[in-house]
Amino acid sequence: MRILIVDDSSMMRALIKRVISCTNVPVEAIFEAGNGAEGLALLETHDVQLLLTDLNMPVMSGTEMLREIALHERWRGLSRVIISTDGSSARREEAADLDVQCYIEKPFSPEVLRDVLKQVAVAHRC
Amino acid sequence: MSSSKSPSLIDAESAAEMFVAVRSVAEHSFFAVAEPQDDAAFGRLARQVRQWLVATVRLENGSIAGAISCTLGDDLARALFDAFTGRDPADPAPTTDQIHDLVGEFANMVCGAWLRRVAGAEISTLGHPVVAPAAAPGAAGDLRLLVAVDGRPLLVDLQLPDRPGRDAADRPAMRG
Repeated sequence: MRILIVDDSSMMRALIKRVISCTNVPVEAIFEAGNGAEGLALLETHDVQLLLTDLNMPVMSGTEMLREIALHERWRGLSRVIISTDGSSARREEAADLDVQCYIEKPFSPEVLRDVLKQVAVAHRC
Repeated sequence: MSSSKSPSLIDAESAAEMFVAVRSVAEHSFFAVAEPQDDAAFGRLARQVRQWLVATVRLENGSIAGAISCTLGDDLARALFDAFTGRDPADPAPTTDQIHDLVGEFANMVCGAWLRRVAGAEISTLGHPVVAPAAAPGAAGDLRLLVAVDGRPLLVDLQLPDRPGRDAADRPAMRG
């Protein structure tokens, strides 16, 4: 599986990578971006199957990035997961409208992310 | 953004929700134990700290606006870094930027977890964490929580706007 992690905290990206490495989900590549704009740039140039993104980020938020992704047919098969401190019901409804498959609240236990990864791997037949 | 201050945000119930948020973050992301402290017990722990770090996150959530700051010693910050990243003692020591990033993320998660508990329905906007060193903890916010995380001191302050008689320049947690 090819995964893109978008979070302005390098520490959070490192934690997510560590959790991914502890699962038995086959991972071909992990890409990292510090905001939505960097994430979009990576999506333009790399074939990614799973997007794990924060919401509150400088330059371009996760919501803005997801809105842009939703406009393009070529990213229709991209699995989208939000990992954010903002777990409000309003934000969750907004995410559902942007084809987000799963919403993980920070702080999260590694098992939660592992289970999501397994579901996505099955969906993409990895 | 509203400038009014809701008393319910600075009462005992809000403080209890703040502690639950801190405990949740400590346990889930840092594998650490958080315990509430009284002034005397906290003072004993605080006297052992030589260098403090203050991480401040500005927040907006419907009628709530203000900032949450987490103040902790450099030694706790480094212990949290090791727990968060799984750093081996033999690995190179983290850089100052990495420690600040980690402490900022800690404050960000505490802020988000508390907001979910006190204002779960509305969308939150959190500012980028601002982290700065301090020689000593600053003046108390409108709500202050004293905590020990794995036996080391942590202060959590909620600062709401427009408090009469308070000079913004006297709030070290808000500098940055």
